Amino acid sequence: MHQEAAIREPLILGEKTYGKITDDVLDSVVGKAGRSWWIAFGIAAVMAAWGIGCILYLLGTGIGTWGLNKTVGWAWDITNFVWWVGIGHAGTLISAVLLLFRQKWRMAINRSAEAMTIFAVMMAAVWPGIHMGRIWLAYFVFPLPNQFGSLWVNFNSPLLWDVFAISTYFSVSLVFWYIGLIPDFATIRDKVTQVVPKKVYSLLAFGWTGNAKAWNRFEEISLVLAGLATPLVFSVHSIVSMDFATSVIPGWHTTIFPPYFVSGAVFSGFAMVLTLLIIMRKVMHLEDYITIKHIEYMNIVIIVTGSIVGVAYLTELFISWYSGVEYEAYAFINRATGDYWWSYWAMMTCNVVSPQVFWFKKLRTSIGFTFFMSIIVNIGMWFERFVIIVTSLHRDYLPSSWTMFHPTFVDIGCFIGTIGIFFVLFLLFARFFPVLPLNELKTILKSSGEQYKKVGTTTAEEH
Amino acid sequence: MSNNKKYWKGVEELNDSPAFKEVKSKEFNEYLPAEDFLGDEGLLENSNTSRRDFLKYLGFGVTAASLAACEAPVNKVIPHVIKGDKTNPGVANYFATNYSDGFDYCDIVVKTREGRPIKIEGNKKSPLTNGAINSRVNSSVLSLYDEKRYRAPQIGGTPTSWSKFNGTVKKKLSDALANGGTVRILTNSITSPSTKKLVGEFVAANPNADIKHVSYDAVSASGMLEANKESFGIAALPTYDLSKAKSIVSIGADFMNSFPSSLELTSQYAKGRKPENGWMSKHFQFEASLSLSGSNADVRMPMKPSEYGKTVAAIYNYLNGNTSGVAPKVEMAAKHLMANKGESIVLCGSNDKNIQNVVVAINEMLGNYGSTININNASYQRQGMDAEVVNLVKELKGGSVDVLIVDGVNPVYSMPADVDFKGAMSKAKTSIVFASRPNETSAEAKMVGAANHYLESWNDANPVANHFSITQPSISPLFDTMQLQDCMISWMGMDGNYYDYIKATWSAVTFPMQSKTLLFEDFWNTTLEAGYFIGKSAEMVAASFTNNTSTALSAISKIKSSALEIEFYSKVGIGDGNQSHNPWLQELPDPISKITWDNYIAMNPAEAKEQGFAIEYGEQKDADTVNISINGVNFENVPVIAQPGQAPGTLSVALGYGQTIGKSDEVIGFNVYPALKGMVTYSTDVSMEAAGGNYQIATTQTHQTVMGRTSVVRETTLDVFKKGDKDAYNPAHILATHEGPMNVNDVDLWAAHPVATAGHHWGMSIDLNSCIGCGSCVTSCNSENNVPVVGKDEVRRSREMHWMRIDRYFSANAESVEERNYGEMESPEDNPQVVHQPMMCQHCNHAPCETVCPVAATTHSNEGLNQMTYNRCIGTRYCANNCPYKVRRFNWFNYMGYDKFADLNPSQDDLGRMVLNPDVTVRARGVMEKCSLCVQRIQTGKLDAKKESRPVMDGDIETACSSACPTNAITFGDYNDKSSRVLAASQNSRAYRVIEEVGTQSNIYYQTKVRNVESNIA
Amino acid sequence: MYDDDMTLLAGAKELVSKGVYIRDVFSPFPIHGIDPVIGIKQTRLAICAFIYGLVGLALALAGMYYFMIVDWPMNVGGKPNNFFYQNLPAFVPISFEFTVLLAAHGMALTYFIRNWTLPGVTARNPYPETTNDRFVMEIHPSDFGMSVEDLTAELQKTGTILIEER
Repeated sequence: MHQEAAIREPLILGEKTYGKITDDVLDSVVGKAGRSWWIAFGIAAVMAAWGIGCILYLLGTGIGTWGLNKTVGWAWDITNFVWWVGIGHAGTLISAVLLLFRQKWRMAINRSAEAMTIFAVMMAAVWPGIHMGRIWLAYFVFPLPNQFGSLWVNFNSPLLWDVFAISTYFSVSLVFWYIGLIPDFATIRDKVTQVVPKKVYSLLAFGWTGNAKAWNRFEEISLVLAGLATPLVFSVHSIVSMDFATSVIPGWHTTIFPPYFVSGAVFSGFAMVLTLLIIMRKVMHLEDYITIKHIEYMNIVIIVTGSIVGVAYLTELFISWYSGVEYEAYAFINRATGDYWWSYWAMMTCNVVSPQVFWFKKLRTSIGFTFFMSIIVNIGMWFERFVIIVTSLHRDYLPSSWTMFHPTFVDIGCFIGTIGIFFVLFLLFARFFPVLPLNELKTILKSSGEQYKKVGTTTAEEH
Repeated sequence: MSNNKKYWKGVEELNDSPAFKEVKSKEFNEYLPAEDFLGDEGLLENSNTSRRDFLKYLGFGVTAASLAACEAPVNKVIPHVIKGDKTNPGVANYFATNYSDGFDYCDIVVKTREGRPIKIEGNKKSPLTNGAINSRVNSSVLSLYDEKRYRAPQIGGTPTSWSKFNGTVKKKLSDALANGGTVRILTNSITSPSTKKLVGEFVAANPNADIKHVSYDAVSASGMLEANKESFGIAALPTYDLSKAKSIVSIGADFMNSFPSSLELTSQYAKGRKPENGWMSKHFQFEASLSLSGSNADVRMPMKPSEYGKTVAAIYNYLNGNTSGVAPKVEMAAKHLMANKGESIVLCGSNDKNIQNVVVAINEMLGNYGSTININNASYQRQGMDAEVVNLVKELKGGSVDVLIVDGVNPVYSMPADVDFKGAMSKAKTSIVFASRPNETSAEAKMVGAANHYLESWNDANPVANHFSITQPSISPLFDTMQLQDCMISWMGMDGNYYDYIKATWSAVTFPMQSKTLLFEDFWNTTLEAGYFIGKSAEMVAASFTNNTSTALSAISKIKSSALEIEFYSKVGIGDGNQSHNPWLQELPDPISKITWDNYIAMNPAEAKEQGFAIEYGEQKDADTVNISINGVNFENVPVIAQPGQAPGTLSVALGYGQTIGKSDEVIGFNVYPALKGMVTYSTDVSMEAAGGNYQIATTQTHQTVMGRTSVVRETTLDVFKKGDKDAYNPAHILATHEGPMNVNDVDLWAAHPVATAGHHWGMSIDLNSCIGCGSCVTSCNSENNVPVVGKDEVRRSREMHWMRIDRYFSANAESVEERNYGEMESPEDNPQVVHQPMMCQHCNHAPCETVCPVAATTHSNEGLNQMTYNRCIGTRYCANNCPYKVRRFNWFNYMGYDKFADLNPSQDDLGRMVLNPDVTVRARGVMEKCSLCVQRIQTGKLDAKKESRPVMDGDIETACSSACPTNAITFGDYNDKSSRVLAASQNSRAYRVIEEVGTQSNIYYQTKVRNVESNIA
Repeated sequence: MYDDDMTLLAGAKELVSKGVYIRDVFSPFPIHGIDPVIGIKQTRLAICAFIYGLVGLALALAGMYYFMIVDWPMNVGGKPNNFFYQNLPAFVPISFEFTVLLAAHGMALTYFIRNWTLPGVTARNPYPETTNDRFVMEIHPSDFGMSVEDLTAELQKTGTILIEER
């Protein structure tokens, strides 16, 4: 616990003690769910149900129920996949990278951000699954021994890289998340009185004891996992981007994709975190922990990544002209002026232009506006993937096979569905899991707690 | 004295030892335990195998043995023509026969598997059609398995037996004939000598009765027949030789599609389009609607159909030195004709005898008769005289016809409204219609004869005076059907059947024409095997050319034009409509508009724009509808399409639609025949107004131009090509690298996987100059590779499954990429030049699709094939996305089972399933598929070669598309075979690979298209 | 038992200097700097992680070498799959991912086992409050031969709020 300058704004507001923190956070877990929670949950559940219905119809009838055609073989399915993976990135980034940088402000948000990561990656994983023509043979993508002896997968295929990247990313973030949860489960376990929850939580807590050695290991593994997760974050979206970058389709075949996708991912991820947190802090009265400060920090990240994305867009445009390749040039002219011009300009406004308003501190610190912007950014990022995938495919090399893509209700249903499932999971998490990392918050209470700062005691820490 | 010699068994007996005595006293030398076995009561008692058991076992054994000898009962037996002896499972049999429906004539070879005809290909040996075949013919095999076919003859709409049917007919005939009644037989143009002889005998047998046989062509060539009658005294068509013609002028004649004997003309045409020969025919086309022929013309001039006559006249006058006021393109044509006297051909599609008279005069004047046109070796492929037909209808209406027999035609459907054949037919006392499936005419008939499919029938043909052919069945009738000829034989009370009758005819008529074989049986069998016989052309020395041209010219000058005219034409797929129920043909895109499953009013794009009609069509871009009245016949809410090349002030519409198709009762398109007043192929009495409706259009190509992408399609002009500077017309792709300029094929990121130089390396070469875009390869591929029919709605969603497609590009208003004027580049010219480019899997050596497949379901064979492993495919569609040629097709649904396709896909019922090729997997839902370069044929070819222990020869193996191509534009072969045609073609100076700069190293080469026009750049 | 981590830390220092041996400390969150005081060595988890990672890398490369090059080298898009090093670039992503996979999961597993935190294991913390806001020292006088009275006296000095004998 290092010394912190008193001028820094407190990260935990109000009169807090260790016990108070526990109580604040556990109110939701032990107490009853508020009405607002039930409303939110109801809506999400309906969306999820519809989506699952559409997915079942899709699997029963065939991919033809989507609007795809001979030329546009991917559209909303992979768009949504990339979109969800992107969203997932913020969680790991916050908890891992900011942990490495010792950014304390992360602590209030990283638990829920990680939860979001887990759920988002789950939703992402849905798409490569259901977009397969024969999902019942999905296990073919794993290098399993089989009756044909030497029939293996193709390690040259970026899609296979995806398989490994996504599964690694998902499982590692899951473990990282859970290890952090264990001590807090223990706290709940020792706090709740009802029988059933006690049983459940003690099971979840894995019998955590909290002795000094355990804490020692705990800090170590957190650090190392963070160290592992950080390159993972960057690798995963780089690999996802290679699905396109390694192909021959004009508009896909672009070396700039990896960094461009990663920053895009962080961009959309932070936006989604904001969306969720702004709702959560209101619904669960966590204003003292998720402060304006946090929101402002995240908005700053959004400006930065948004600008990076913007630069990437412009670079693409320039290169398409500079390369002198007819197809490349046409691909981008077609994006901006072709049949899908509206999606291109939607992307441009949402991702490049609008985040710049965050240069104004007033807007940066306005909750309502931030919430609005976080939605805008996610719409923009969805369009970015749509533009890359569909407008590149629908007019490639041979004009004879140029077509348009028109989504069907199944396309839309499946997408809405994943959003529904995502929120169902997240709301359940918010209801039953400690949404703030108790043990971490307690470590920073003294250094960044408001009342401690008021007293100006920094005497506590000398060693 | 008797011989009492004694023989000893051995020395032992001689010296009679006691041991010997002992042995001798016993029956067996060794001791046998029989006694103490049978003696032992206990043993038998304890044994549980009683005598009963033994008998049981015996009984069971016998039964089991006899059961094992039996076979499981077979539910569906497909009877063989030649009983099993020649049909071995897994081995195909081929039968030479011919296709002759009065619209097309083609010498064909039928491929049967396990006794089922599954594929039809051109007879390569035939000197008449040279193996040429078109979509209509190679799709006709599907009509054999049409679920809607008549299963039995019908009297008054109720099924009955043939004995009853024939008995009734016999009675009615005898009644009629007894008191000198009238019998009329209405058929399509029959070239069969035997049938004609039979009819002749029928007439002869009843001298006091009035029996007449009338030929009727839905798409009539009456004008030409009459003209030839007047000019040469022969009511027949001449035979042409386009391969000798240096100058081809066609006025409204679509000689590659609907013109009589189009297949012969097409194969000849291609021979004259080889720039390597040093010369190339120059093809002028004057027409209203952009026809298949017009799309291949070097010089094309759109004009109103009413002006055909004037154009012909203008050419005639020009040749006679009257050069005033002639349109420049007409003048160009006339000049070129003059320059190539005796080596030119003028064709006209008009059905007006006056115009045809002048055409004859022109050809005569150019001295083409005897060189490029032969009237002595006449063609009988169109025999319908409109006058006779009209006369027949008159008789019918008069009620004077006792018995009307109709076969092979559908007059109620295809006759003009003003003729009202339906009403006329009802006046006939007895109407007997032979049809293989219910149609408009059979619905009106009192008696319906369930006719054979031609693949079930014996017949013969004489399409051209000296060309004879036997139609032999390749399967015995699937249902209780009979052909007219067999019935007539039974009606006339003759013995034997039509088969014997044909043999008799041949031994009498054709056998004497030859001297090679002495025995008729040998002659018969060899002919049967070859499928054709070249005899002497019938003795008819053309009467000297007597042609009153001046009257014809004056008649022509009276032809009226009007502001809006409409031309009736036949589509490449549907033709005159007698196969419009065939889903393969319905799904075959029109070569020009690329529209499937519909006919429509085509109009000039500029005019369409003016009138505010949609000019682009796609999944969500519908066509507008119009109400149109043609010759007083009204059509409500019919789609109108903007068709580049359509002459201003004209419309065009395809005949042959408006019938129910396939298994469904859905009516596709609308029937224009009623408006075909007086069999005139156009109308000046048209009024059209917008109906304000929308109409969904299913087109396989939504973008019309090539966007100036010269590495997709390459074309040049003859003069540039003759200069011989390859870089001028077929430049190589050079990349600027740090090591200086390099050929794109020498630049590679990674060390490539070596391409095998040993063994085979299959590849293909396609000559854009020969390809006319007819689509014969497409349907051939469909039937060879079991490509499912997906129907209009799916095609509209750009999900057609065709492995082989023909890309059609119109020249645009702007072609230069540098200007980047994309708007102009997307809009086709008003009178565009057209390129047809067959496109299928390019089997790239560096295939982008292969690298991206996560499960290695598509990989490269060491014979250069890009192969799909269907049962490994999980359907990520990544390969299709990454294919620069977009030739991969995904199974969006289970086309074999999903009810959406129950009415469309013939292979959803077990009758239609019989057409499937057993050598090709039927793909499951959710897998990717694409052209396999007919790998099953490659394997067969290799096996055959192996059996004969010889290497595979060039030409042994033909893919479905290459064998179907009427112009031999497609060459398949082995690059590692140094003598192969495909290798030569790939090294030809016109050879290029599509978008080679992408570095896919494809195995399909194309040859630059050469137009015989003067270029401005040269 | 203490109610503040700082007091406990200070007290612990005090006691250790008096020769008291502190068995263990239970707290709701890591008390920074307690480990050296009560003599707990730095964990070696990180080294394990590194080893697991190496194993993962080796496995991945070996696997892909066998699948793609040895067992059945197919011609996939003309890629040079006859030679490992030529095809190596395509193997980089998966090698990396697999390294991380094994490193992370291997370490996590070790962590669970060493801490004996596994599903169904019962907790061993003496007071449930130690997971909320209480801090507990576990001291066995017998370990260093100090009388309970003296120890209690010492403890009192360190501002503890509760001393319990068990």
